[in-house]
Amino acid sequence: MIPDIVSSLRDSFAPGAHSELRAQRSLARRVVLLGGNLVGNTRSDSQGVSARVYKNGVYGFASAADLSADAAKRALSTASKNAIFLDERVKPGKGALPDIASGVLPAQKDFKDLEQKRYLDFVTPLDEYINTKYEHLTSRTIVATADSMEKQILTSDGYAAHIFSPRAYVYVILNSQTKDGMPVEVFEAFGGPGSLDVALTSPEALFPKVDALYEHLMKKREGVFADAGKKTVILSGILSGILAHEAVGHTVEADLVLGGSVAGPMLNKMVASPLVSMTDFAHTAFGQPVELPVFVDDEGVLADDAELIKDGKLIGYMVNRETGRHFGMTPKGNARAYAFNDEPLIRMRNTAVHPGTSKLEDMIAATEDGYYMVHTNNGQADTTGEFMFGVSTGYEIKNGKLGRAIFDTTISGVAFDMLKTVDMVSDQMTWASSGFCGKKQPMTVSMGGPDLRCQVTIGGR
Amino acid sequence: MNRELQAAKAALSQLTVPGVTDASVTASTSRRSEFTVDSGKFSLLRTTLDHSLALMAVKDQRRGTVSGNSFDDAAIQSAVKDCLASADAGQPDPAWEIAKAGTGSFTTGAPEPDMDKLFSRTQELLDTIHREYPKVLLEQVVTAHTAGRGVYLNNHGVQYETTSGNYECWVMFSGHEGEKASSFNHAGFVTDNLDSPFIERSSLRQNLQDAENQIHTLQTEGKFTGTVIFTPDCLGGMVGELLGNYASDGVLLDGTSLWKDALDTQVVDKRITISMRPSDPRIVNGQKYTGEGFLAEDYDVIKDGVLKQFMLSAYGANKVGKKRAPNGSYAMIIAPGDTPLSDLIKNTKKGLLVSRYSGGAAGTSGEFSGVAKNSFLIEDGEIKQAVSETMISGNLAGMLNNLAGISQETVEDGISSLPWLAVEGISISGK
Repeated sequence: MIPDIVSSLRDSFAPGAHSELRAQRSLARRVVLLGGNLVGNTRSDSQGVSARVYKNGVYGFASAADLSADAAKRALSTASKNAIFLDERVKPGKGALPDIASGVLPAQKDFKDLEQKRYLDFVTPLDEYINTKYEHLTSRTIVATADSMEKQILTSDGYAAHIFSPRAYVYVILNSQTKDGMPVEVFEAFGGPGSLDVALTSPEALFPKVDALYEHLMKKREGVFADAGKKTVILSGILSGILAHEAVGHTVEADLVLGGSVAGPMLNKMVASPLVSMTDFAHTAFGQPVELPVFVDDEGVLADDAELIKDGKLIGYMVNRETGRHFGMTPKGNARAYAFNDEPLIRMRNTAVHPGTSKLEDMIAATEDGYYMVHTNNGQADTTGEFMFGVSTGYEIKNGKLGRAIFDTTISGVAFDMLKTVDMVSDQMTWASSGFCGKKQPMTVSMGGPDLRCQVTIGGR
Repeated sequence: MNRELQAAKAALSQLTVPGVTDASVTASTSRRSEFTVDSGKFSLLRTTLDHSLALMAVKDQRRGTVSGNSFDDAAIQSAVKDCLASADAGQPDPAWEIAKAGTGSFTTGAPEPDMDKLFSRTQELLDTIHREYPKVLLEQVVTAHTAGRGVYLNNHGVQYETTSGNYECWVMFSGHEGEKASSFNHAGFVTDNLDSPFIERSSLRQNLQDAENQIHTLQTEGKFTGTVIFTPDCLGGMVGELLGNYASDGVLLDGTSLWKDALDTQVVDKRITISMRPSDPRIVNGQKYTGEGFLAEDYDVIKDGVLKQFMLSAYGANKVGKKRAPNGSYAMIIAPGDTPLSDLIKNTKKGLLVSRYSGGAAGTSGEFSGVAKNSFLIEDGEIKQAVSETMISGNLAGMLNNLAGISQETVEDGISSLPWLAVEGISISGK
């Protein structure tokens, strides 16, 4: 745990100026076994303090790689000078930010930073299991990774907090070839919040899940290319989660709305089927803790859920304090910084489509000709809502039954058009939290959703 | 002695314990000063002071690496302990290697910032865009100066010191008319000077103009096979993915590279030469030494269509029995052709001019499919309307064997120098 260097510095804030101080330590641990060779064995620590000061509509920010009260005071001083530099030249003339609730978040539990050997001890038996049991593999990669953020936050007028955000995952990547020699690959991430021993109990507990992944690979060896064009598709919860994040979530981040996103003119309009609701959850969803909870953001805002789409209607954006003032919306805790030397940006937290009432098997049975898309290997969208997801595991649906596996393909569409085609929503939620969202800075995020039946365009030969 | 060298020496001496055959330390400090413009308005001035300390030790053929950002004695001791513990926990592998010789001191770029001039160049850029591209909405502009000093030491006496600085400018934007909008696009560059307006650099003008012309789009009908001309902005990513899937450490180590046995054979059209040239004058602050301590030298990955060199680290090279790459950078130079861009377009019967590609990871097969973003239809040798919801698919290596031509024009952004490249046989599909 980092020493408390910010809580006694409230007197260092300039009177009347909105100021933030943050001390932070970020850890990353990683081991990589490629074909049994340990090609990656790294530990990374970074720590420091930062300050941000608001003046008339512009911010000054400064940071130093030093965890001390003196460094924090110097950062505050430089941040103030930077705010003055910009204010003098730009003269934005905006007043103070609206008030927010103040207080102190109760202390959170620290987590265990495991020694490197623990990661190696996890991946080695998993690699041996894969190497011994499975045939027809051309290669295998096992990655164990863990990262965490510990933050002390003090703001001039919001909440103070000392928070921890650890998570740990094991990635399994299996490669094989078709009969014609074309490489095929499957991949899955296992894990979640907490240190590795909390997120994953043992390598042995993963064996059945890796068996299932291998089965996907063997089916993919016998796979076919998907037909290009607009098709009826059932997106698994993993894909509906990435849809929620990439194709809708980014367009309703208030800074991107101001930057011209498609959501600007769509507020309070129907953007999806009435079956679709979507929320950026703070720390609890549907009565359960979310994968990456946020209780206080880096502007000192006490976190709450940001409702985005309700029964098909766009009802809100994700805002920080400044854009909240612009749009007349209450900040819900979306202003988050990745590293100690990063400024808070509007970021998603745990963004999800709400579950419906259908059963997945009924959705498949009700589909004459289409595809079931199971896993994705990446996703991108732009401010028009046009999205693209790579699909690494998928199956044909013919006459209401799952058919042959398909090779890697890409699906695309325009979110607010595609969401209007949703006609069935399953009752089963799936969450994923292993990735990073990219937006000037990386950020840990989780996303989730049920299975969705909809119309999308499939790429292919 | 500067503090980077002092920290590096302290760490190296502690790291060199019995059993350690190779050890290296990199210590650096940097200062970054950055303006952020959100929605066309200045919003932030940010100053960051950073340290970096990276340790590597090979002990009894087991390798551990650790990185941190503190030069404090206690932090160095802790990092050394962690590094040796990581090495102890690892597997023995005789392939690890670092340089046994090499010294140098390098000063490059613009080590000192001129923040007033950077501000005025940024303001000038905003004013020019507002005046000359009225349909463009700026999502974000980031301009910055980064100054850094670094030291690399290893236990074989290798020592490098660097002092460097550069400016950078990155712009994200889209075209707007009423409620209609183009896809977002971006442009940017790294430079060592503020001598000329930012608007005249890299592909900024072209991409801003294109954004205004991409507001009203046509959805491609049906499916056809055509020619795609990739702009330099798009080409860099496509070729990067190709090299990652066919010529890099990972795919050669696991044997999945389709080019693993193709060294010194023709793998793509003979008009294509792809080089990594960190010392090229068009590259700003190019790599001086590799992560393994070897002096960086320029090289060709592909010359006249022939695969000349894999992009292998020393470790990867030792594992697969090939030569290591002479540098570890991605300072990519693709040799221009002798055809004007206008002729590449004129010679295209039906196809697309693609500025940005949004697609799934191609994987080791090289098969790709994704959305052609910020793209125009080309018909009968003329650029027609911008397209939306249009997908392209093909094979990364296959398309470079189906070359229609390479432009004589190139775009330089301080990181690479790339031409426009036209390839045939790409599947193009719409609704």
